[in-house]
Order: sequence, then structure tokens, then C-alpha cells
Amino acid sequence: MKIASVLAGLAFVAFGTGAMADALPDMAGKEITIVTENAYPPLQFMDKDGKAVGWEYDMVAEMAKRLNMKVKYANISWDAMIPAVSEGQFDMGMTGITITDKRKAKVDFSDPYMRSESVMMVRGAESRFADAKSFGADAKLLIGAQAGTTPFYTAVYDVLDGKEDNPRIKLFETFGASVEALKAGDVDTVLTDKTAGAGYVAASNGKLKLVGEALGSEDFGFIFPKGSAFEAPINAAIADLKADGTLEALNKKWFLDYKMN
Amino acid sequence: MTPKEGEEFPWWLVILGVVGLWLFYQVWVSEIYSQVMRSLVAGIEVTVAVTLIAYGMACAMGLGLALAGMSRFGVLRQAARLWIEVIRGVPIMVLLLYVAFVLSPALVWAWNRVGGGLGLAPVSSRDFPLIARAVMALTLAYSAFLAEVFRAGLQAVDKGQIEAAMSLGLSGWQRFRHIVFPQALRMILPPLGNDFVAMVKDSSLVSILGVADITQLGKVMAAGNFRYFETYNMVALLYLVMTIGLSIGLRRVERRLRMREK
Repeated sequence: MKIASVLAGLAFVAFGTGAMADALPDMAGKEITIVTENAYPPLQFMDKDGKAVGWEYDMVAEMAKRLNMKVKYANISWDAMIPAVSEGQFDMGMTGITITDKRKAKVDFSDPYMRSESVMMVRGAESRFADAKSFGADAKLLIGAQAGTTPFYTAVYDVLDGKEDNPRIKLFETFGASVEALKAGDVDTVLTDKTAGAGYVAASNGKLKLVGEALGSEDFGFIFPKGSAFEAPINAAIADLKADGTLEALNKKWFLDYKMN
Repeated sequence: MTPKEGEEFPWWLVILGVVGLWLFYQVWVSEIYSQVMRSLVAGIEVTVAVTLIAYGMACAMGLGLALAGMSRFGVLRQAARLWIEVIRGVPIMVLLLYVAFVLSPALVWAWNRVGGGLGLAPVSSRDFPLIARAVMALTLAYSAFLAEVFRAGLQAVDKGQIEAAMSLGLSGWQRFRHIVFPQALRMILPPLGNDFVAMVKDSSLVSILGVADITQLGKVMAAGNFRYFETYNMVALLYLVMTIGLSIGLRRVERRLRMREK
């Protein structure tokens, strides 16, 4: 009984990988230049030794292996990423970019490889509000966000009054800076991905907590210059990684097991 | 009574030195400071290279603009004026974004348009890296400031000397090379130095394009380690070592020049 099920499992694995290897295109060692900022832990960031690591690096390495592709990395700031990829300076951009129609006008997106649900992160001692509604009702409360990001628009349309120049939104250049401002008391909440937020909370020694319901979800995709030849193979690899559980394993590795500090 | 400059003991420098030494000592003993320092070191090279290249090119361009602005030809004078007024009137950060995302793609397009007709190989925008665009933007920005510095220096040279040189039969280039420029240089050295120090600081703006200078590495570092205090302490210290070191060196040179005049 036991042996039979193990054998069946092996047969399934052998069949499964065989079928997938057939399905994936072979890029014949072609080089892809990928641009990122390394400022969005745990997707990509600098670790203690100054090495660029993270969820997306692991995923790209696995995709490159399966597609027989060489990867070259370049760095850029978030502000410059979409224009630079759109004009073809790089083959692909990765930094947890939410797939939106507005952005689709400038660049092509891969299929989604991650779904992110926004939640409110607050200081551990926060007691003045417990959800988006009670936060929105108190005009003294401030929210921190990065301009032009999805959490920014969620903050404007789902938490506040739909006015993008609402003075209750304080803008920060990086996500980390907004969290620091939250800790320091400059703002009272920051919207964060639910899973990533759990990581921040765990690393904060009780200084941070998550409150309220999820405020809508967003899908992350890689970006390409319009009509890029890399889109189809990357999409095939994403489907492959999703199907065999590699992406789930990465979620566990980077969102749950990895200790940021 | 306030003492004369240079007579008072520079206590401010002592305080700064103590704080600086304390921070460098932290690099030695504290793991987090040494991590930050190790990561920032790579950025020093970029900051220095960006500053030196952009400043060198801006000096050449500024001198050209100053000469054009004093030219006999009205077209040249007006063109130089137009350039200086436009560039000086735009914030450097805006100029940086403009050069990176408007001018550079336009240049690539124009090159391919013109070069294609001449049979040259087409270029793509990836042949024009962001660091080059950043250097170009800083060069353009400072060319306007430096042009004004050069103009002031050149105009301050006594007219009588130029007339004397003319009557001695020196050509236009000889007058510039032997009479005007050496005297102007002495006058413009202090403002040139100030602009160099300012360029060291403004070079941090290239981080908005993701060029890995000290500032950008600090930003990225802090985004991953959440240690804002330590990270930006080191970033600020590195800039201070460069800018204050340069200022002190420049003041020495100025003093020596002044002594030679006496």
C-alpha cells in the first residue's frame, strides 16, 4: 500500500515534470536584462551583507533555469522604471508592480505571479481606530503612502474621500520610509500587503500590528516593453512555477521563514 | 568685537571631527555600522566619478558659453543668453528627469533618423545608460551657473590691459590666453570651488534615476535593513567628509593666491 502510493507519486512527478519540460520553450541561452530597485522587501532588497536577494530573485533564477536563459540585472529607481522599460532600455522590470490598465498603456504585463491584499498596519498601541471606516472618520489621523502606487490609490479611494490631494496622505519615497514614519508617529497607518505586513509585524517586537479587513486585492506582474519576445516564455514559466508549487514554497521561504533583521 | 576670519580657533571643526571619528569608530565596533559602510563604499566611487566628469564637462561648456555671450556676433550672444536663462530657470531635479525621459529618447530618435540616412548603425535607448543621462543633466545644469562665473571673471579684467595688448599687436587668442584668462582665473577660482562643492551635493540627485551613488545605496540599504538612523548618519558623514575637506583645501588655495598678489 505504502510502496504503491510512493510509486504512484513518483510516476506522477516523472510524468508531471516531463510534460512541463516539453511545454516550456527553450531560449537557447539568450540573455534577458532585468531592472529592479532592491527597495521592496521581501520581494527584492539588500541583505545584511549587501547582497541583492528576495522572492523575485529566486523566482527569476528558477524561470531562467527552466527556460535556459541568462539573466543580467540592472538597478533603477521606481520613478524611472516604467518609462525606462517602456522605451526598451531594459527587457523586463520587477518590483511587485500591480497590474493596472493605466500602466498597460505604457508597458505589457506578464500574467500575475502574486496576489496581494492590502491591510492597514498601525502602531502596536493604536486604539483610536480599528478599521478603514473609523480611520476615515477621524480627520486628525494621517496615512503614509508612496505616490503613484496602488496603496496610494487604495488610501485615496477606499479609506479617504477620493481626493488625491487630501492633506491626510503623507507621501514617502520608499515603503520602508513610510513604515519608519509610522513607527515615529508621523503618520497613523500605512497600507501594506497582508503577507508582507505580517512579516513586518513579526519583526517589530510588538511595535506594529495589522487591523481591519483586507481593502481589496491587487495582482503583481512583471513589465515588458510593448510587444516583447520575452512575454510568452515568461508567462509559460510562471504557469509552470504556479502549477508545481514553487511559488507557494517561495511565499513560505520569504514571507514566513525569512527574518528581515 | 568679532575676530577676523582665520584668527579664531575652529572649534566647529573640532566638534565635527569628534563626531566623525566617533562614527568611524562605530564602523569598527558595531556590526550594523560596518554593514552600512561596506555597502556605501561602492557608491563613493560613483559619486566622485559623476561629480568629476560632470564638473569637468560643465566647466568646458560654461567657458564656451561665457565666450559666446561676449562674442561680436549677436546670434551667438543671444543663443548663449537663451541657454543660460532657460537652464538656470529649471530646478536641477526637473532637468534630470527631463534629460532622462524627454531629451535622451528624442536624441536617440533623431540619431536614428539622421544616422539612418547616412548609413550609420542605429542605436537603441539601452545604449544610453541612465548614469550617462544623469551626468549629461548635471553638466547642462552647471554649464549655465559656470558660464555666469566665467563671464563675471572675464569682464572684470581691466579694459586698459586689453587695449594695451591690442596695441602691442597680440591676436585675439593671444590676448585671451596670456592677458585675460590668467587674471580672470585668479578671480573666479573661489566661485568655481564653491560650485564644485555644490556639485558634490547635487550629484546625489542622480539617485532619482536609480544611479547607485552614495545616496541611492543608502536609500536601498535603509529600505532593506530599516536602520534609518545608522544608514543616513553614514550617508551624511561621507558627504561631509568630502564637502568640508574640499572647502578647507579650497580656502588654503585662495589664501595662497591672495598672498601672492600682495
